[in-house]
Amino acid sequence: MERPLTVLRMSLYHPTQGSAVFATVPQRLQHDTSPLLVGRGLGSHLQLHLPGLSRQHLSLEPYREQGGALLAFSLKALSRRGCVWVNGLALRFLEQVPLGTVNRVIFAGIQMVVHVEGGTSLEAFVCCFHVSPSPLICRPQAEETDEWEDIPEEPPAPGSEQPVPGHVGFPHGPSQAVDSSPEPRPGGGTEIQLQREAADSGGGAPCSPHGHREHSMAETGLELS
Amino acid sequence: MSSFEDADTEETVTSLRVTIYHPGQMQGGIFQSIRFSNPEKLPSSEVVKFGRNSTVCHYTFQDKQVSRVQFSLQLFKKFDSSVLSLEIKNMSRRTGLLVGGMELGYLNKVELPSRCVVRFGEYQLLVEKQDGESLEFFETLFTMSPRPLLQEQGWPAGKPTPELCWSAQSTCLSACPTEMDENEY
Repeated sequence: MERPLTVLRMSLYHPTQGSAVFATVPQRLQHDTSPLLVGRGLGSHLQLHLPGLSRQHLSLEPYREQGGALLAFSLKALSRRGCVWVNGLALRFLEQVPLGTVNRVIFAGIQMVVHVEGGTSLEAFVCCFHVSPSPLICRPQAEETDEWEDIPEEPPAPGSEQPVPGHVGFPHGPSQAVDSSPEPRPGGGTEIQLQREAADSGGGAPCSPHGHREHSMAETGLELS
Repeated sequence: MSSFEDADTEETVTSLRVTIYHPGQMQGGIFQSIRFSNPEKLPSSEVVKFGRNSTVCHYTFQDKQVSRVQFSLQLFKKFDSSVLSLEIKNMSRRTGLLVGGMELGYLNKVELPSRCVVRFGEYQLLVEKQDGESLEFFETLFTMSPRPLLQEQGWPAGKPTPELCWSAQSTCLSACPTEMDENEY
């Protein structure tokens, strides 16, 4: 009797409207138990056409927990430049993290939400892709409403602690909290602070979900849209 | 300026030394595909597979009793660590993989300590990792042992191995039964 396959429902979004980033993304992809490679290169199982993406940017590796019956997945960063953000945790080159049931992944300006639906087959798994026309990951509307109410007409004085709406870089819009439990990086901060985009020098440069340089990322402020 | 002065600073690479043994190694040519005493440099993102299938495996064993892909080794970096760590994954549906005192089933994986004996079937592999600075590459070096790496006393096939909060260095390479945790039970 055939066993049901584990399904990874992957929603993808990139701000460039009508771009060819996801031109070769299939609706469905069945893959064996080797790591699924995501990147710009031809050897990637999920090929995304973005110049800022590494040829092999990240991998999704199936494995089985000791005593577990279902496939589990580990996401590993394979890009030497920048970071891959997974549920608010920044992964640098060769760092990896196990995935939960719902996962928010941001890399090179791409937003990806991965839902893992466990199946009992250990032979293969299936990816079902959906390209979203609107952002998948944004800040909760309630926080943004509070910020609007408190913003004075004049620009905030230097040193003021009032954040400017929209400075975050994520679009406003309705959001639904699905998995808002923060997973702070050890020693990570709690506020989003964006800087102007700078050339990514790779290696030790701090990274942002949009590929910008930034100090840190607010894990608690990110929720699914 | 000379090329020496202009060259990039050399980094030491993580080194994996694998000493292997099989009781039939001198007769069947099972290790004929492996280049012993020949260091090989590999990208650190590489998943290194061991098995019978030469198309997908980096290192192959010429033995029909070996699975097409028996197990894999891959490097990863822990958060806030400057060196690479090593994990092993059992890729065989048929054969368990003994890592120190722990048995891995199909697709189970575990981090390897710096020095550990891995076993499957009659194969014994001593895997030793020496840390290096480079995150880009690592090096492998294979050696064949003329004698078993582990004494087989008190280690019959099929006997349950207690799960341990284990330090593999203390359970590996011991020739004295008293040092084996199984004998305490």
